[in-house]
Amino acid sequence: MPNIAVFIEQRDGAVKKVAWQMLSEARRLADAGGGEVWAIHLAPAAGDVAAKAGAHGADKVFNAMDDAFTTYNSELWGTALANFCREKSPDVLLVGSTALGKDVAPKVAGKLGCACISDAVGLTHDGDWTVRRPVYAGKCFVELTPTGGPFVVGVRPNAFVIEEKAGAGAVEDFAASLDGVEPKATVARVEAGDGGKVELTEAEVVVSGGRGIKGPENYELIEKLAETLGAAAGASRAVVDAGWVDYSHQVGQTGKTVGPNLYIACGISGAIQHLAGMSSSKCIVAINKDANAPIFKIADYGIVGDLFDVVPALTDEVGKLKG
Amino acid sequence: MKIAVLAKQVPDSETRINLPAPAPEIDDSGFTRVLNPYDAYAVEEAVKIKEAGGEVEITAITIGPETVKETVKKDCLAVGCDKAVIVTDPALDGADEAAVASVLAAVLQKESYDLILCGLKAIDDDSGQVGILVAEKLGLPHVSVVTKLTLGDGSLEAEREIEGGKEIVNASLPALVTCQKGLNEPRLPSLPNIMKAGAKPMETVTCADLGLEPPANLVQVKTYSPPPARGECRLVEADEPAAAAKELARLLNEEAKVI
Ligand SMILES: Cc1cc2nc3c(=O)[nH]c(=O)nc-3n(C[C@H](O)[C@H](O)[C@H](O)COP(=O)(O)OP(=O)(O)OC[C@H]3O[C@@H](n4cnc5c(N)ncnc54)[C@H](O)[C@@H]3O)c2cc1C
Repeated sequence: MPNIAVFIEQRDGAVKKVAWQMLSEARRLADAGGGEVWAIHLAPAAGDVAAKAGAHGADKVFNAMDDAFTTYNSELWGTALANFCREKSPDVLLVGSTALGKDVAPKVAGKLGCACISDAVGLTHDGDWTVRRPVYAGKCFVELTPTGGPFVVGVRPNAFVIEEKAGAGAVEDFAASLDGVEPKATVARVEAGDGGKVELTEAEVVVSGGRGIKGPENYELIEKLAETLGAAAGASRAVVDAGWVDYSHQVGQTGKTVGPNLYIACGISGAIQHLAGMSSSKCIVAINKDANAPIFKIADYGIVGDLFDVVPALTDEVGKLKG
Repeated sequence: MKIAVLAKQVPDSETRINLPAPAPEIDDSGFTRVLNPYDAYAVEEAVKIKEAGGEVEITAITIGPETVKETVKKDCLAVGCDKAVIVTDPALDGADEAAVASVLAAVLQKESYDLILCGLKAIDDDSGQVGILVAEKLGLPHVSVVTKLTLGDGSLEAEREIEGGKEIVNASLPALVTCQKGLNEPRLPSLPNIMKAGAKPMETVTCADLGLEPPANLVQVKTYSPPPARGECRLVEADEPAAAAKELARLLNEEAKVI
């Protein structure tokens, strides 16, 4: 009877989508295995999170409401989640692999002295737990079994499908017990980058540009298509190293790993290090003037052509479809 | 000031993994090994701090077989680290993140370092846990995914990449920082410096030397498997790019149902 706890991450009141994805998957596992799904929510105020968590499958929602949970702090979040695991003893704590989640998951595991598995894309329970995750940036996958519990699993955004149901979880307060915790590192301030844009690792659609765009002024073509699709804009390392776009856009083995529903590679040859970061995308489209470019080997759809013609035309067509 | 850099040798990013079917291990015998690219940012940052002046000693610390020595010499010592400690112990083959962190923490405890730098993750296991686990074991603050680092008096300020922006974090020293691309541009070693690096101290130790039982893994590997196979690419052809784009949009909408 596995009880699965899911960490509900929110920033400025907005819950990360991966939290709903994890709850939905936890619900499917609990329905099959007979356990409960618990949501643990750290925030200054409850908002409507409990109702939403219930609708995504939580049997119980633990609200740890504290002004301390306004700005992220590794020590405070880590302590709160570790205390939660000690007190409630879930089999597993799922934490989304976001900037915050990747920082706090090992922190919690370190405090508990328990196993931690990063970037999971699959989770099964048949008496033992098996966690599936990519390694070598997706060049292969590994199945792992943690010893003992509770253990911590980081979950890759978009690995699981959201499912909403009628129903509400029971809401309980959880006292995070932060008295006496004095963090030696604190966030002084948060600076927004170019706001309003979709985050690469969480995006359902990604449009990336490679050296084929020929210069920084043409990245706009990529951004326009991305904007029309509600997508995030990515880039190959060639484009980043040339200084055409910021490194936060880089997709690949030494950049972001993405797994969107749709990945459109424009003017990208498909070097192994680039493929490593996007090969788990569900549908891959390649636009390249070289029919022999390796990117076509992993693409589902392709156009052999000049991106300067094809990308603006595709932007128009998508615009028409989206109305 | 004493700086430790945690470095790992990993298969080159060009490495192809040939796994026709699920297997309990990956045959890594033919892999070319290099310094983990993220660790190169850690090495470079340490060297830049040293070059900025003051008494700074940089120790590179790694775990691995005898063959890591070449990487440590070329990519750590020859670019400016002062010495290296290498933990070589067959009992650590296949050690998981928690075990590796325990061993690194044991090495770090032998000295008092003001700053510990490492890569945000290694490009083989891709787990991004070890630095944070080490900090937690040593009771030190950490800042992860750092793209800018400024040292103050007994403190540091670091910029950490988050979704759509950055967090500016203050921490007291000693502290651990995990390094991200953007922090600096790692230099390449020169041939004369590689020659000279051979004279720098390189200490090889075992778990027993550290007074440590080889730590048990908390995670067991069941199988490795190849990534799911992908179908054939469907090339959309038309006389005009606009017509091809139109057909592609239709396919993505109606067939693949992704837009
Ligand atoms: C340690 C290491 C780590 C790396 N990590 C990464 C990583 O994380 N991410 C990454 O992307 N790379 C990474 N690389 C680099 C990688 O090896 C490639 O060099 C890089 O991906 C190439 O980028 P590109 O495809 O944009 O450029 P190119 O390989 O130069 O390809 C450009 C493509 O554009 C096409 N093209 C040109 N003009 C047009 C046009 N008008 N219309 C349509 N198509 C056009 C060309 O046919 C070509 O296929 C790494 C390399 C190393 C050594």
